[in-house]
Amino acid sequence: MRNYIIRRTVINIPVILFVATLVFFATSVLPGDFVATRIISQNPIPEDPVAQQEQIRQVRAELGLDDNVAVRYVKYIGNILRGDLGTSFQDRNSAVSGFKEGLPYTLQLSLMTLFVAVVTSVPIGIISAIRQDRPIDYFLRIFAILALAAPNFWVATMLLLYISTGGIPLPFVDWTIGWSVDITGHPLLWEDPVASFKLFIIPAVAGGLASGAGIMRLLRSQMLEVLRQDYVRTAWAKGLRERVIIVRHALKNALIPVVTVLGLTIAGLISGNVVFEYLFNLPGVGNRILTAIRSRDVPVVQAFVLIIATFVVFVNLAIDLLYGVLDPRIRFS
Amino acid sequence: MAQDQSVLNLPGTAVQGSVSDRSLPVRWAHGSWSFIVGRPIGAVGLFLIVITIGAAVFAPLVSRYDPDKTFTTANPAFREDLYEQSLDNPLMRSTPPYSEHPEWFAKGEQPNQLASPSSKHWLGTDNHAHDMWARIIYGAQLSLLVGIGGAVIAVFFGTVLGVVSGYFGGWVDMVIQRISDAMYTFPPLILLLLFVQVIDRPNKYHITIALGLVGIAQVIRIVRASVLSAREDVYVSAARTIGASDSRIMLRHIFPNITAPIIVVFTISIGLYILAEAGLAFIGLGDPAAISWGKMVNDGRNFGSTEPYMALFSGLAITFTVLGFNLFGDALRDALDPRLRGRGSRTGF
Repeated sequence: MRNYIIRRTVINIPVILFVATLVFFATSVLPGDFVATRIISQNPIPEDPVAQQEQIRQVRAELGLDDNVAVRYVKYIGNILRGDLGTSFQDRNSAVSGFKEGLPYTLQLSLMTLFVAVVTSVPIGIISAIRQDRPIDYFLRIFAILALAAPNFWVATMLLLYISTGGIPLPFVDWTIGWSVDITGHPLLWEDPVASFKLFIIPAVAGGLASGAGIMRLLRSQMLEVLRQDYVRTAWAKGLRERVIIVRHALKNALIPVVTVLGLTIAGLISGNVVFEYLFNLPGVGNRILTAIRSRDVPVVQAFVLIIATFVVFVNLAIDLLYGVLDPRIRFS
Repeated sequence: MAQDQSVLNLPGTAVQGSVSDRSLPVRWAHGSWSFIVGRPIGAVGLFLIVITIGAAVFAPLVSRYDPDKTFTTANPAFREDLYEQSLDNPLMRSTPPYSEHPEWFAKGEQPNQLASPSSKHWLGTDNHAHDMWARIIYGAQLSLLVGIGGAVIAVFFGTVLGVVSGYFGGWVDMVIQRISDAMYTFPPLILLLLFVQVIDRPNKYHITIALGLVGIAQVIRIVRASVLSAREDVYVSAARTIGASDSRIMLRHIFPNITAPIIVVFTISIGLYILAEAGLAFIGLGDPAAISWGKMVNDGRNFGSTEPYMALFSGLAITFTVLGFNLFGDALRDALDPRLRGRGSRTGF
């Protein structure tokens, strides 16, 4: 087990270095120049254009942008190996500190989305499987396939419009589903729990339903397969209670491929969140990377992509280890 | 097919009246018909796809109006009586309460922005007073171009690399797999953003190419897995025994036997890429010159609280197009290759 973890980690080092290479060359061919854009925007009509060009040249030399691509690449990889992921052109802070500032927003949104996804998909998948071809099954499957096809940013937009306009009053009950959404303040859960929840729940539901729909469909087909196995029939014959059979015997075995998709979902949340962070004006990791790409803040793009890729690699490793917990027959070698 | 026919003529091998010894078009039509009858949900998907393709191809015929035409309407707030008074009293317009309502005095045609659905504008008008129906019809062109174009690129290169990787194994496989692993660890949307931004002002063709490149890794994985199992089959050993070259085995023996997963991944990718393009356009990184459903959702969002129709209808257009490709792809997968079930599409797009 320990050897397996060590070997997988070692195999992943070239993968991460390759990601670093890819992002380095992708960003080094980006058109536009951060330094020139920045200096010219501060002083669009210079009294002395020659001096401004000189200033641009000086700053570029200071940042090491005038070196040959090969030289810059070697320096870049060297810095990574020493643990230095670069400094933002924009605010001269280390790129890692920017990532740390954005992380709480992305983390809160991802965890809430994941919660919605699991809470909706697992019960729906089970109900749909054990009531196969009944009306409830058809209803849930149509719901899932629609949730998979609808663009999640559109669902979030419509939810936001609906909720922030006050919603419609419910019949017989004296309250409406609608509240004011604090788009400009973007509070975190531990800063202002109520306002934060009101804001984050909208993207969490929109994103959670979309990723939950995929999990639900997979879980349903896996459950249907497992429920026809001999050991499930044996469990029925022994007279076990339905709940025990479904949860202990069937669900546990149906979950193994679901865990893979769940892992892909977790990995995908970070980039899926780019759209939600843009829509809800959250200063999370996704929004920062979007701004960095737009303003050609190359070190930030490189550092963020590298951190995310490393995270994804280890999520995949964690999933492979989880297989062993769910299915003791799997041995790591 | 001459030798095939001679085998079928042997006693005990041919089935009388079997479809398999008809001509190709007949077999194809028969296969399609039994698909439609046997898989009604897939047929619904096909129907949605046909509608979308029809809208894109025949856009000038069915759009009713030019999508870039600005519509005007008589100002509904115009007050004839107050206007007459203001002609006699020029100061009236600048005194409250009249100064707060300049629209009472605006005689003539106004741009008909964000109108509700009506018989003139079936889906209303957008924030630039364009007809929404016409723009949604024309938007199908971009979605299909990006979806199908991206899928063609991803499937072509993914298949070539996947077959080579799976067939040769060894260091070729090692290199291709590490590259595809690295592309897999990239969050797809961020990789897409990087690829798109490499071009200074990306147009729809750049976006299509970028989507295709991002999708290659997934196709490689699926194709390689199929090649690995096909490679061990007896017909491959037989071909090798009679001295067939590697390229001949790959093209004539392995490729025809792995078309099912390739067709399925092609169909399902189209829907994914349409969603991805809409997402890009939504965050303002699409082709600024093209009519894009994603951009229309974003434009509609800014005016949405009073007139939600713009965001609503453009989102519905995306949903039903993607739904069509998903339903059709699911049915194809069940019909062609049930083993693929559960190989979930890549999330995050």
